[in-house]
Amino acid sequence: MSSFRLSSGGIVNRGNAISYTFDGKAMRGFEGDTLASALLANGEMLVGRSFKYHRPRGIVTAGAAEPNALVTIGEGARREPNTRATVAELYDGLTAASQNRWPSLRYDIGSVNGLLSPFLSAGFYYKTFMWPKAFWEKLYEPLIRRAAGLGRIVTEADPDRYEKAWAHCDLLVVGAGPTGLMAALAAGRAGARVILAHEDFRFGGSLLCEKLNIGGVPADEFARAIVDELVSLPNVTLMARTTVFGWYDDMVFGAVEKVQKHVARPSADLPVERLWRIVAKRAILASGAEERPLVFGGNDRPGVMMAEGARIYLNRYGVAIGRKVAVFTNGGSGYGLARDLMAAGVEVTALIDPRRDSGDAVPEGLRVLRGAGVIATTGHLSLKGMIAERSGYEEAIDCDALAMSGGWSPIVHLLCQRGAKPVWSDEKQAFLAPDFGSAFVAAGSAAGLAALSECLKDGADKAIALCRDLGFAAYEMDMPEVEGAYDPAFASLWYMPGSRGKAFVDFQNDVTVADLALSQREAFGHVEHTKRYTTAGMATDQGKLGNVNAIGIIAGMRGMSPADIGTTTFRPFYTPVSFGALAGTARGEHSRPVRRSPLHGWAAKNGAVFVESGLWHRSSWFPREGEKTWREAVDREVKTVRSSAGLCDVSTLGKIEIFGAGAGEFLNRVYSNNFLKLPVGKARYGLMLREDGIVYDDGTTSRLSENHYVLTTTTAYAAEVMAHLEFAAQTLFPHLDVRFASSSDQWAQMSLAGPKARIILQRLVEDDLSNAAFPFLAAREVTLKGGLAARLFRISFSGELAYELAVPAGYGEAVADAIMEAGQGDGICAYGVEALNVLRIEKGHVTHNELEGRTTADDVGLGRMMAMQKPDFIGKRLSTRFGLTAADRLQMVGLKPVEADGEIKAGAHLLKENAKPSMINDQGFVSSACYSPTLGSHIALAMLKSGRERFGEKIVVWDALRGQELLAEVCAPVFVDPDNLKLHV
Amino acid sequence: MTISFAHRHVLEDHIIGFEMKPNAHHLSVSRRPTIVTVLAHAEAEEDVQLALDLLEDVSIRSCGPCEWLAVSQSSSPEALLRLLRAIPGSSAFDQSDGRVLMQISGPDVRRILAKCVGIDLHADVFAVGASGNMLIAHVAGNLARSGPDSFEIIVPRSYAGTVFEELKEMGREFALTAAFG
Repeated sequence: MSSFRLSSGGIVNRGNAISYTFDGKAMRGFEGDTLASALLANGEMLVGRSFKYHRPRGIVTAGAAEPNALVTIGEGARREPNTRATVAELYDGLTAASQNRWPSLRYDIGSVNGLLSPFLSAGFYYKTFMWPKAFWEKLYEPLIRRAAGLGRIVTEADPDRYEKAWAHCDLLVVGAGPTGLMAALAAGRAGARVILAHEDFRFGGSLLCEKLNIGGVPADEFARAIVDELVSLPNVTLMARTTVFGWYDDMVFGAVEKVQKHVARPSADLPVERLWRIVAKRAILASGAEERPLVFGGNDRPGVMMAEGARIYLNRYGVAIGRKVAVFTNGGSGYGLARDLMAAGVEVTALIDPRRDSGDAVPEGLRVLRGAGVIATTGHLSLKGMIAERSGYEEAIDCDALAMSGGWSPIVHLLCQRGAKPVWSDEKQAFLAPDFGSAFVAAGSAAGLAALSECLKDGADKAIALCRDLGFAAYEMDMPEVEGAYDPAFASLWYMPGSRGKAFVDFQNDVTVADLALSQREAFGHVEHTKRYTTAGMATDQGKLGNVNAIGIIAGMRGMSPADIGTTTFRPFYTPVSFGALAGTARGEHSRPVRRSPLHGWAAKNGAVFVESGLWHRSSWFPREGEKTWREAVDREVKTVRSSAGLCDVSTLGKIEIFGAGAGEFLNRVYSNNFLKLPVGKARYGLMLREDGIVYDDGTTSRLSENHYVLTTTTAYAAEVMAHLEFAAQTLFPHLDVRFASSSDQWAQMSLAGPKARIILQRLVEDDLSNAAFPFLAAREVTLKGGLAARLFRISFSGELAYELAVPAGYGEAVADAIMEAGQGDGICAYGVEALNVLRIEKGHVTHNELEGRTTADDVGLGRMMAMQKPDFIGKRLSTRFGLTAADRLQMVGLKPVEADGEIKAGAHLLKENAKPSMINDQGFVSSACYSPTLGSHIALAMLKSGRERFGEKIVVWDALRGQELLAEVCAPVFVDPDNLKLHV
Repeated sequence: MTISFAHRHVLEDHIIGFEMKPNAHHLSVSRRPTIVTVLAHAEAEEDVQLALDLLEDVSIRSCGPCEWLAVSQSSSPEALLRLLRAIPGSSAFDQSDGRVLMQISGPDVRRILAKCVGIDLHADVFAVGASGNMLIAHVAGNLARSGPDSFEIIVPRSYAGTVFEELKEMGREFALTAAFG
């Protein structure tokens, strides 16, 4: 309770006070605060309980790497768990709650885990909960999950909007600290299209917290001047609150922009978060460096904080982290902090430096213990003091805050996401980014540079080089002079020897030095194994703070260099990204495109029930008053088609217009049957094979004029067949003069089927439709009464006298209405895809139920479609393979139940009579089944071993899924009009 | 007997009853444009392209090698088809009912389209007159730049409802209005 807001200082807007609550307690902060700075200003150092031991934890950093200060922000469905208080922008009305404690943050029952810690060592999950195995999922895991952990997930639907968008630029600059600002400025002045992305809500990075002058003005003013110039450049896009989280192939970067995470009531017209895919020709990583904690006994006590964090709270937010601050540092950062604290009037009790000597400037009046270290801390919910040790002499030093600095690690995450590992530098005592050439480079402290002046120059120089590389005339920039900087050099200290109590390496996962040692002893020595065994570097912070220390300590334990230990694997995301942002607008009705037939409106007003079929919404059946089940409607529709006439929407079939002198030859090669001699004005059923001889798709193709054909595909394979034809035309037969494009959407196509189809249609069509003038398989342009041009095909899927009429899509509904009206006296009905399916099963026609990627033409009884006398066609060569011509292949047959009321289900398997129900005795399966109102019983199409030789055999239909068995008779697969008499009337 | 068939635009259900006075950002849907697919046969691509460029009151949209959409607000499909079929080495067929043409415009139109298409629409890259096939709100369509702050979108009719609603959703930020125009 000893951190506090200073009466002056910082760049928060003290004129604008903001009210918020933490664990129900009302507090106030200022505009420009983060939740963390506002909590510290109110003396709230204790913000959470640790993952495993439920130890009290305080704020450690002032940025994205924060492992401890995870809170739940918001209320109701807007609650967001595991938010880092250090990057959460304060807004009026914000409500935050601490996590992983019960009943309260100060009195947490779970802290008993701390006493049990001897039993909770690394790997304890694996060791403790091994037996009995069945208990793991139901008992152990839920218990552990409740006890350990992070915030609770929100189960209500997210009320807010999210979006995804694309951006393109010449140069992407990741990070707007001193390096990034200079890079963006240099590239912006050169005229390049620049995107400057920065995760903070304020541009400037370390310039906002350094007490020094650049070019004669304070650092934050220097930053503001650059931002002002960047804003004035039309070729520069500034993206604040935007975290670049991933680097993907082809220089595509993923970024998430927090658009409305800093407002209490988000506007419904804006997303709360926007996911960006940024396509950059070049990119500069200016993400800065992360200060490393020091590992010593009790280093997790609330009040122990990173020196850089303390400096940010002091200089940017005007908040002191304590009234008596001690500093433990192995480099210049701690000296710089002590200087700033003392200048602000905060007492610094001592500075502990493990180095014997250094060139750092010591502020007047500061007590410095050189060659010393901190080995323990005291206090419980907050820090009361620490024990410094030098050459065996221990001294208790009072302090309510302890700032630590263990050196710096460049933030190289993005550059390591595509497989290359960071490279250890003995000189810099840090892992540096791998070299990828000039497309994406690290600059400034992300590249291992320490001094501010070097960073400014490096940012500008690298941007200039990349711009020149892209052909822009970029000019060198004058570098401003930096005054008042401290030397941030350091000497690595991985672990403070002689530490007492737990010395934490990973605060978020409660991993101590002892855990790392245990992992080495138990043969989990590889850094990736150590990570999994100890959980170091896991969870929301992914070891941003602790990983390099863990590597250094493992190296020390094994007597090796960090270079030999290496790092774990870097992967997107750099920081957590919400599922909402990843989904964008693709939720609910926007989750995928919907395709509607031009006859959708006609079907809807005729009472259709629609079914989703791929992206299409197709009319399934048309129930009438009094019909209680779908079967009643379908039975009626089928009977009406067989006795009178029915109208069905077939617009969803794929249609491809094919042109050229070589079109006939082309079709002859993509179809297995003959197409060379198809006369103008005629349609023909065609079968397409894959190269491997298996059937691909089927449909009719009509020749409308000498060099113009229209090919139809099944609904499901419209796009696939188009791609297949493109491949054939472009790569297999490029010398053929053939061109084609889809006309699927141009036509509303309807099938009018039934004995009265001709009488009804003739009432609307000018042309003579008599059998002589328009025979079976005729395909021509006709004129409807009133002059509308249409295409008419006399083809039949139902086995009845049938026509398919195609009219321009916009006229579809009106023409369908007119047909229904013209057929009213003849009892016409609308029928859907369910009735269509029954009609085709009765007629033994195949669909993709039968053409399912394993069947040959012969398997489905279409062996006559294989025109083997043709010189070549796709699939010809491989169709004669032994396996495809074997006598015991599954062949399509019909099935009729022996008992009249027996019901056959699709998917059931077939067994010989008296055979034991087992897949060993499998004889085939049912591919399509329905109730046939025409026959008055269930019927089915099935694939049966050597099926065509077995007509008349009784066979068991075995439906293990539903636990049913029944006896059926194998028969020919054509149940209605096997001699096709109805087609030619 | 003569029957007069009513022609129906696929977006009538989406627009009629919801018309609004155009805002600065507006989506205008063409009622009955003429849209024709033109294909060039082997070796004739350049000649066909040349001939297409000479047509008056017809804008030509590139759909890939040897394929274009010819768009006209003044000719009938029959008249345009006659013209196009006269070009040696070409084939053409009507798509006027199979495609839906929309124009989206406004000072921030690129920011709306950035949520719908993955390509760079900066004027240096995609200048006025440029066009190409691309995914537009997950649907394969054609996008053309008709002015500094206006673009024309052509999508298949069956997907038009989806694309229309997606564009409106993406335009909420800029109070995008929509109407037939």
